[in-house]
Amino acid sequence: MGDIRQSLLPRDVLSAAKELLYHLDIYICNLVQSGRQPPQVDSKTLELVEEFILHAPKDRGAPVRKMSALQELQLLEIMCSCFQEQSRDTVRQLMFSALFSLQGNQADESRMVLLGKLVSMAVAMGRVPILECAASWLQRTHRVYCVRLAQVLVDDYCSMVPGSVPTLQNIHSMSPRFCCQFITAVTTLYDLSSEELTPPLELLQMIVSWIQDDPRLVLITFLNTPLSGSQPISSLDVTPLGGLVRWCVKAPLAYKRDKKQALTDGSSDGEPDPRPLFSALHLSVLQVFMLLPNILNEKGLFGLLPLLQMESVAALTSDLSRLLDQADKHTHTSQADAQASSQLALDRLAQALQVAMASGALLCSREDLRAICSRLPHNNLLQLVLSGPVMYYNNIHTPPLAYSPHAAHSPIASHATLPAHAPHTSLGPHPAPHAQYPAQPFMTGMPFPFRPSH
Amino acid sequence: MSAQKDCEFLVKRARELVSEDPCAAKAWLITARTLYPTDFSIQYEMYNIERNAEKTASAGRLLYDMFINFPDQPIVWREISVITAALRSDSQDKHAQFLRGLFETLPGRVQCEMLLKATEQCFNTLEKAEMLLLLLKRFPESVVQHGVNLGETLLEAEASESVETPVNCFRKLFVCDVLPLVINNMDMRLPTSLMQKYILKAAEFYIGYVTRGPSPDGQLQGTQDSGTLKSPGISRGSQRYVIDGLSEKSSVVAEPWERLLDIVTVVGARCEWQGDKGQRSYVDMLLRVKELCRYLPGLEGETRSHCCSQVVICAALVLFRSAFLYVSAVQPALFQGVSSMNSGPWILVEDLSSVYRDLEMDRGALKHAHKKRKLADGREKTMSSDDEEGLGKGRGRHVLVNKMEMPSWSETLESFRTARESWDLLHSHDGLEVEFKKICAVWKTDSWLWFRIFLTDMIIYQGQYRKALSSLHQMAAVQQPQPGQQSPSGQAGLEHHRALIQQASCHYALGEYRMACEKLLDVVSGLLPPTQEPIKSTDDQGRMKTKTRKGNDLRLLPCTSKAVLPFCLQLMLACFKLRAFADNRDDLSLGHVVVLLQHDWPQGEMLFLKAVDKICQQGSFQYENFFNYVTNIDMLEEFAYLRTPEGGRIQLELLPNQGMLIKHHTVTRGITKGVKEDFRLAMERQVSRCGENLLNVLHRFCINEKIIIIQSLP
Repeated sequence: MGDIRQSLLPRDVLSAAKELLYHLDIYICNLVQSGRQPPQVDSKTLELVEEFILHAPKDRGAPVRKMSALQELQLLEIMCSCFQEQSRDTVRQLMFSALFSLQGNQADESRMVLLGKLVSMAVAMGRVPILECAASWLQRTHRVYCVRLAQVLVDDYCSMVPGSVPTLQNIHSMSPRFCCQFITAVTTLYDLSSEELTPPLELLQMIVSWIQDDPRLVLITFLNTPLSGSQPISSLDVTPLGGLVRWCVKAPLAYKRDKKQALTDGSSDGEPDPRPLFSALHLSVLQVFMLLPNILNEKGLFGLLPLLQMESVAALTSDLSRLLDQADKHTHTSQADAQASSQLALDRLAQALQVAMASGALLCSREDLRAICSRLPHNNLLQLVLSGPVMYYNNIHTPPLAYSPHAAHSPIASHATLPAHAPHTSLGPHPAPHAQYPAQPFMTGMPFPFRPSH
Repeated sequence: MSAQKDCEFLVKRARELVSEDPCAAKAWLITARTLYPTDFSIQYEMYNIERNAEKTASAGRLLYDMFINFPDQPIVWREISVITAALRSDSQDKHAQFLRGLFETLPGRVQCEMLLKATEQCFNTLEKAEMLLLLLKRFPESVVQHGVNLGETLLEAEASESVETPVNCFRKLFVCDVLPLVINNMDMRLPTSLMQKYILKAAEFYIGYVTRGPSPDGQLQGTQDSGTLKSPGISRGSQRYVIDGLSEKSSVVAEPWERLLDIVTVVGARCEWQGDKGQRSYVDMLLRVKELCRYLPGLEGETRSHCCSQVVICAALVLFRSAFLYVSAVQPALFQGVSSMNSGPWILVEDLSSVYRDLEMDRGALKHAHKKRKLADGREKTMSSDDEEGLGKGRGRHVLVNKMEMPSWSETLESFRTARESWDLLHSHDGLEVEFKKICAVWKTDSWLWFRIFLTDMIIYQGQYRKALSSLHQMAAVQQPQPGQQSPSGQAGLEHHRALIQQASCHYALGEYRMACEKLLDVVSGLLPPTQEPIKSTDDQGRMKTKTRKGNDLRLLPCTSKAVLPFCLQLMLACFKLRAFADNRDDLSLGHVVVLLQHDWPQGEMLFLKAVDKICQQGSFQYENFFNYVTNIDMLEEFAYLRTPEGGRIQLELLPNQGMLIKHHTVTRGITKGVKEDFRLAMERQVSRCGENLLNVLHRFCINEKIIIIQSLP
């Protein structure tokens, strides 16, 4: 490859880059044909990519070759057609890796920039092979960079050019895998912690319509991934479920805040109401959860793979309790409104937790849940979920195991070990740890104040 | 606090939310279901939301879940019965369509189970049967298990509910819906006896359906189209017919004869009928069994009885169909759905178009009739001799009909012929006759008026007039015009006359002229006097053709005043003709003949001349009614001439009481002159009457001289 560098150096930037892409193609084809496992692109080649395609400074002080905007556009077009024409999936994937796998060096910055432009262009031009490669990239790469890529697309299609959302909408049919990873990245990016991190409405509408059309979309990556163990650390979640739950739960509080600001600005720009969107999204998320038991059972993963991680649930509940505290402290709007939003958030949390647990997406006991929810204010449904269904020993209403995979430790098993306490009367937020929760009564007729006051 | 309270709480929340935020309501219910998966109210609420939103697929899925998980919930059953009711109904409203769509989303196995269980819960036989039928139609494999049972249940229900007619809801369902499924299912073994029973049940239904009488209100509402006879069962225009217990739509049976033929075809194939290669038509069917009949005497035992059944069933079906087609042309008003606007009833009578011919040819017939009359003393023996003769006479008789007035004449006569052939076939062997009589007894064909009409016409055709008369008497008793039925056109009255005319025709054929005249004078007295001169041409066509025929043809006479009066006049003429020209003198009869010969003049010119000859031979003639009823100018001239020296100075006593007058005049002088003067004046007056409506004159003749006319016959 050394002689290649020599031949590339005298060329102008564009033709050098073209030449290198051409050589890379041949090189990788040979690599795949040689059958070496695993096929690995050598570091020399990677360096050439950095020098002639990404134009990262090779040595300190060496002159930086730069491409004009037009040349860059031409290069992107060449790359597009290069991926489009390559019929072999392995070759394409290796090529994409050679170009865009992060190396932890200075070149990564320009790598990300180029990748963003390439993927954005692929979306615009409907280049499915590139989107497929990008989907894989989004599975392997640290979530920080994934989020950056998603940001580029959101900026390009939702913020920069009005009316270009439909183009992005198409990725659903072009590459469901990419679409799924995109949703995961976007839900990771927008955590509703601030106004900037609240998803634009167009994006929200788009995601809701995707999932409503096809709830299984959010499980595509999971369904196509052989096993969970190979997942690189700090990569994106295998599904966007956690992020979507967070959206739905926090939305009543986050969007209320926005609205308030809009009201004070006096700019009511007639934007559609996001509330029904989140309601629909929340329902879709629950429906996706309900799909899981069968899928997990088929994969033999039931009870083994937490698609909704306990840590993210814990983070969500603490976020929520902080938001609720804030809402309590400076209530600008009426008390009733604030109360309704808080209860909606808590209802959704309780529903998500219950359904996730029942469907085997959340692996924990009700006791664990009580611990992480202990700081949350009172909500009838949440209490019902935390205490679990009432069981009778002589009741025909015996929950079948199919619906409650954790029957072994919930609720009977978990409660059986707890000492019975005096009935707890406080309906406010529970600062007390879960151990202070009264035990679940199993007998009829026993007063049980924290059950919903019907 | 209890699980039930929890569930109530959860469902209540969902209900509160459903109108403003259905997604949230569903989210609550999904959560609730994971908490209490065995609680029915939660799932029912989920179903309700989807159902009310008419979401076919999701509602179907939830109904499926409920059906599997809560098979004992009454609410589920109520829901299923609502859905199955929608399946049975032919309603096109949106909700019914949604419910049907909902049912379609369910897996076949569940549909099958649902229908079966819904059937079990049904206590009304008809509904139960309809439900089971849904099942059988959808799942042909279930026919094996339930088909015959369902059929038997329906037949039992019919028996136990003691319905009056084979055209009832149970039979309709059995014949039109269940039977085709059963006999077309080749996985089933059906005993021949069962299939024969079924085919007879089907035939009884279809025949009953086709020959159903008009409903009281729909009788005169037939549409303008003259209607072909091929599809008599299709209801026309606004004629409505509803089988008790069924909707108007499902009361309609399209192409009944075709459906029956379909069943015969399948059953024939399954019973391995001889020479059966699929029945193409009823005519084919008759040909085939005719052929088969030839081998019948050589067969024995099982094969013979098998063969007998085939012949009897096929021939009987052809018989009833052809007889129906014939009667529906001859008496259309008897049936619903047969257009009766353009063709009234028709009467099968002796053809009298040869009445104006010379007597020589009739003489033989007269002697024959006299002989017959002597034998016919009402004893069994004579009847049978009458039958034998009749059979001989029945061969090759022609039935004449005015083709202009009955456009479908050839089909009608063909049906009549086919029906007679089938009847003969069914009576060609004892074994066949016994079998056929069994069928008739079960179907109570004796009470079928329309079939009796056919039988009567058939025996008239066969020349068994004595038998025909007794049949006509019975029918007349049944057919007495009912006060309520009198239609403005006098149609019912005419139909009553139909029997009388036919009786008169039979009496005439038996040589019983006095009886014949009595009957037909009864008819004439019931007719209104004609207001217009008849159009001469109506009968010409038929007459031309019959010139060369023997005197034993038959005619289909339209039962209208226009046609009936001329026929009555001809029949009277025929009654008096032989008497008038007999060797012994009978001036009264001869006078009647002269009066009657005026009709259709100059058809009777030859006979009139013969009468004049006879008068000349006699040298005198006495008929006091002459100037009352003879207005024919030719005749008047002839009689005027007879009195002249050139004419032979015939003594004519044509004025009332002229005999008295002559006696009176003998005492004074110039008597002859006075009589002459009277005659001349009468003649002159008569000539001025020439323009009078002849039929009016003859009608008056019949009414006024009724007693004399009858008395002048022995």
